[in-house]
Amino acid sequence: MKFDVEGMTVHFPYAAIYPEQHAYMGELKRALDARGHALLEMPTGTGKTAALISLITSYSLANPARPLRLIYCTRTVHEMEKTLAELRLLFSHLPPAAARSLLALGLSSRKNLCVHPQASASAARDSVDTACRRLTASWVRDKAASDPESTPLCDFFESFDRAASAGDLASYMPPGVYTLSDLRALGRERRICPYFLARQMVKYANIVVYSYQYLLDPKVASIVSREMQKECVVVFDEAHNIDNVCIEALSVSIRKQTLEGAERNLRRISQEIDRFKATDANRLRAEYNRLVDGLAQKGNLPISDAWLANPALPDDILKEAVPGNIRRAEHFLAVLRRLVRFLDGRLETENVENEMPVSFVASIHSQAGIDQKMLRFCYDRLHSLMLTLEITDTDEFMHIQTVCDFATLIGTYTRGFSIITEPYDERMPDIRDPVIQLSCHDASLAIQPVFDRFQTVVITSGTLSPIDLYPRLLNFNPVISRSFTMSLTRDCICPMVLTRGSDQLPVSTKFDMRSDPGVVRNYGRLLLEMSSAVPDGIVCFFVSYSYMDGIVNSWNEMGILQDIMQHKLVFIETPDVVETTLALDNYRKACDCGRGAIFFSVARGKVAEGIDFDRHYGRLVIMFGVPFQYTLSRILLARLEYLRETFQIKEGDFLTFDALRQAAQCVGRVIRSKADYGMMIFADKRYSRHDKRSKLPGWILSHLHDAHLNLSTDMALHIAREFLRRMAQPYDKTGSGGNKTLLTEEDLQNMALDAMEM
Amino acid sequence: MGSMTIGAKYKTTLKDPGTTGVLRMVRARPAPLSLLSSDWLGRFNLAPVPYWLLLRERGRGCVDSSARRASFRWDVACREGFDQNEDKFTFTPNDPRSAMKLNVDFQSIKGHKFNKVDGSKPMPPLLNLSKDSDKGGGYMFEFDNGTNRDLCRDFVARVLGKQQGTVPPRLNVLPENSITSTRPEQLSSVEMQQRMKLLQEDSELQKLHKKFVLGNILQESEFWATRKNLLDDEANKGSKQRPGFKSAMLADVRPSADGRTNKVTFSLTTEIIHQIFAEKPAVHRAFLDFVPKKMSEKDFWTKYFRAEYLVRTKNTVAAAAEAAEDEELAIFLKNDDILAKEARLKIKRVDPTLDMEADAGDDYIHLPGHGIIHDGSKETNDTDSDFARRTLSQDLNRHAAVVLEGRSSDVELTNTNTVAEALAKSKKELPSSSASDDSNHERLAKVARMTEIEDLQGPRSLPYAPLCIKDPREYFDSQQANALRSLGGNNDGRRIRSSRLSADDAFHYLLDQISSIKVNGLSCPVVHSDVALKVLNELNEGISRSRRLNLKNPQEGLLGQIPQCTRAELMDHWTAIQELLRHFWSSYPITTTVLYNKVNFNTVASLSSSSAACGATELFLFFLLSY
Repeated sequence: MKFDVEGMTVHFPYAAIYPEQHAYMGELKRALDARGHALLEMPTGTGKTAALISLITSYSLANPARPLRLIYCTRTVHEMEKTLAELRLLFSHLPPAAARSLLALGLSSRKNLCVHPQASASAARDSVDTACRRLTASWVRDKAASDPESTPLCDFFESFDRAASAGDLASYMPPGVYTLSDLRALGRERRICPYFLARQMVKYANIVVYSYQYLLDPKVASIVSREMQKECVVVFDEAHNIDNVCIEALSVSIRKQTLEGAERNLRRISQEIDRFKATDANRLRAEYNRLVDGLAQKGNLPISDAWLANPALPDDILKEAVPGNIRRAEHFLAVLRRLVRFLDGRLETENVENEMPVSFVASIHSQAGIDQKMLRFCYDRLHSLMLTLEITDTDEFMHIQTVCDFATLIGTYTRGFSIITEPYDERMPDIRDPVIQLSCHDASLAIQPVFDRFQTVVITSGTLSPIDLYPRLLNFNPVISRSFTMSLTRDCICPMVLTRGSDQLPVSTKFDMRSDPGVVRNYGRLLLEMSSAVPDGIVCFFVSYSYMDGIVNSWNEMGILQDIMQHKLVFIETPDVVETTLALDNYRKACDCGRGAIFFSVARGKVAEGIDFDRHYGRLVIMFGVPFQYTLSRILLARLEYLRETFQIKEGDFLTFDALRQAAQCVGRVIRSKADYGMMIFADKRYSRHDKRSKLPGWILSHLHDAHLNLSTDMALHIAREFLRRMAQPYDKTGSGGNKTLLTEEDLQNMALDAMEM
Repeated sequence: MGSMTIGAKYKTTLKDPGTTGVLRMVRARPAPLSLLSSDWLGRFNLAPVPYWLLLRERGRGCVDSSARRASFRWDVACREGFDQNEDKFTFTPNDPRSAMKLNVDFQSIKGHKFNKVDGSKPMPPLLNLSKDSDKGGGYMFEFDNGTNRDLCRDFVARVLGKQQGTVPPRLNVLPENSITSTRPEQLSSVEMQQRMKLLQEDSELQKLHKKFVLGNILQESEFWATRKNLLDDEANKGSKQRPGFKSAMLADVRPSADGRTNKVTFSLTTEIIHQIFAEKPAVHRAFLDFVPKKMSEKDFWTKYFRAEYLVRTKNTVAAAAEAAEDEELAIFLKNDDILAKEARLKIKRVDPTLDMEADAGDDYIHLPGHGIIHDGSKETNDTDSDFARRTLSQDLNRHAAVVLEGRSSDVELTNTNTVAEALAKSKKELPSSSASDDSNHERLAKVARMTEIEDLQGPRSLPYAPLCIKDPREYFDSQQANALRSLGGNNDGRRIRSSRLSADDAFHYLLDQISSIKVNGLSCPVVHSDVALKVLNELNEGISRSRRLNLKNPQEGLLGQIPQCTRAELMDHWTAIQELLRHFWSSYPITTTVLYNKVNFNTVASLSSSSAACGATELFLFFLLSY
């Protein structure tokens, strides 16, 4: 359908629209008009993505002066696929002329895009990358030119290269929407490498959908997103965790194994240097001369040679020559050896140490004779050296890269980080497992360049409350910052706080209570009762893997698990992604065929982050416990201290905020549209306290009746039965009277007329 | 062909020379279906089809509501006496003094046998009607020639077939008194088998078939014409609903200890073994490889449970030691390589909207040594090690996957070897399409379904599995009870009706009614339609409610107050009326004489008799209710 938003025609791919989507579009348009950043919270289940892409696409159609350049960042590949599917739906509703000129594509790693029969066979990303480099690196291709028989090349890449030099890549990729599987199918059909094709076409595409990390993690961002223009609109969807992504992108840890591996790598590099000295000394000399002039990579590397870039941010790296004392390969090697030895010495410690980068750099300088500038250039110097040495199996050199990442980061940043050395894990003090962790505390560091480079950055999610916290954490000034409520046709969500088991004893995952057999049994009884009353799918979230493992094992021993299996099949998330993916697939099948199933998952786990349990895939979600972070972790403590000093955020507040946004995120997965319905049980007595509960997003709180705040298992069961019965009744989808929850084109026209009259 | 008379000899044994005489076989007429054939009922002019039956019928979308207004006179079709009301045969000896006189009801005959007649043997053609297939005993007749015998044999076959309800549709024999001129349809043997199968599976259908088709009220083709969907469905489905695996984890056998010695006992059934094989392909392969060539089955399972016990007790050191010594035992402790291979294949086919494995490809934050260590990521176990610990989670996931896949074969689980082989066979049948399916439309459709917002656009039909209901009456009644339960809320128990009449009053009222009809004749309906409707609603609700109240004990319901046989009769009449009505209304508009005949002679006649019976019961119920 087509309608007007503040005088602009918007093409929307559905026959009706929710009022909040309409309002959302209005706010978004204001942000685009003002060329500023926006922070928008809208409950899950109200079609954020559809509203976003329709408005931004329509905006550029209405303003030819601002051509469509949208970078849409998702957290996961499957969200990427969903967004692309929505884009395809949208394109089919655009005016044909516009749809014919727009190109939208997804971008992922070689592992997800490679179609070369041998290279794509390996399971790990590193090995696919290496296999690809073996076939496509510039020196391999040079060698193949002189010796074609013994040097295999990748046909797909060769045809890409020919097309790229002839400048007709666009003919391979006519406008349209390309998901990852479309790209692979195209690659197979036209015999062209989809990965490199996609990476080249990103420059010309109107809409690019890719992972956060391609924009936030300097290691990949500087390769992939280097050439994006300022006019781009950047969208971070499901961005409630964006601060964690940012700090993780700049964190490195070093263990004993890392250092051992690094030493192995150094030995290998030294052998290679010797070999080159004997055969091709000119190459090393040429590299030296290049380093005198400036940095190794000035953006003119062949596309196939690029690999993970500098871990620090491009703007933070001084545009100057590599220091003289690491220009020669042997000298640099000696510096790295000293650095590894120094770190090894630090790992020998018996005490926990917490240092700031400045003091750490000072001690490196005094003990190993490496100054800050040399540290900062470590990563680039290593990169240059490996290219010179024509090393293709980069995955073997992960260890020394980690060490150089570490060095570059501490050489670059003086604030917002801390270096924590622990001789053993807090929870297992008997097992010596020393680790040096460089952890970033300031989320704004990684995202700052994004805000600076692009004129409009939209951060949106279903759970951004409290909405004033995010601008502080990320250090930016949004022109629009708004939280939308959900207009509901009927009470299709039913949140409950369960504080007691059927025996009236409190339940909680508080540390002193969680292993109490009474609590374990009460939790088990709750699930058992619910599994007999609720149809189709049930999702359970636990606070951690170890807790889930423990409680499921106890249920198994108590026989509760067997009883539960009388009603539904049971699937569990495991650390192994392949197994978890298959379990999820089977879970959906079980819900589809009517058998019904339960999925056990972990808050903060991969499933909680990105999998939807909408419609019959999730009629009930139970959050067992409050998903606090492991509060004794030194990294967390250091971060809390930093937050208190820099942003004046109290520790307790931050911890509760963080736990509750995770809980809200978990339970929010059950609802996808207003026709959908689901129940949410927060099973912990702590949720009944006001300071915890009030941190839940508004759309949950508004449905949390006072009568549902202090329930026991049997009361919850009764409420669940009533709710399900109510939801099974037919209802008027469009809402009644003045409270319209579904707007048609006609309604929107009338609204516009009313506004005119007023 | 209501009867036949043939000269035959009756013999008690094979050796017996036999008594010559006349064998007469009689088949029941397409009798009026009067069961409660009380005299006074016969003269009512009822609104003959009880409303509640019609309403039910309408609920299933069969009969137009105009049927409610329909009212037709009925005349009892007592075209013949009741002497031919049952199937029987009589044997009258030529010698009137002989004691060998027989008059036997076919009800007592359970089977018949006959011998082969060819020129080579001097054996006379015989027909043996056996009373009980187990005990023997019966009647043996000798015929003069084969043709006579065959005539008799066919007759008997049909009568017996009718009794057992599984008579094959007659192809060559047209009923004598057929009133239609339609040609009997030509059926392939497959279709015929299908019909017979349907009849066998559904006792209610069988009853109807017996009553109408064998009772010559309806043609075979007419009967089936209204059940096309049954035939089609069956053809489409190909196979019945198969029993699946139990949800319970049988493969997780718990040892039992006797408490005195250090012995633990595991007990196995074929069902458990089947599940173990299905869930652990490596064990299955080992079984096929080792048993019985290398070791006996008992040894195999002993080894298996030894390994299981080590895993269960988390005794990793002992497990490693045992595995080092015994390579067969090591198989049970190792990671299942077949499963790993299957997983790699399957992962390519999963729904892209939940493919978390692909995420790993874009994750540059959690490179080794990067990112922040969380709880959980630390617990990555070494996948390189041969004896990676198997966790409960893996077992659960695997078990649920196997249950979902379902049993692939219908093999009787009699012994382990057949189980193992059947499973191996079904495995082989699986297509081994390993090519990744980027152009798979099903996958794309799935993604599209996952992304769209359902209430912003029109509905979309989803694929479904047809429901196979064994006993429709039971099913629909319980459905109705459920529906009423949710509607009625907590208002349990019957509302107490304020009855103005005492039992005596009600009885006298009823008698008055009857006598007034006797006097006034058939002029007006016995019950006013609005009253009847009220009674009907009350009855229906009462039946459902009482059923809901005591699902476990349906005898105590309202219907349970009626004697067992009456109830069964009522239900039979009900289904019969439904069937007849279906035919009655489907004959309109009457365009041919065939239809006219059908409506007038067959349907109406039987309908009226049935409804009369029902009407009587209805009155009875009415009486009960007011009581």
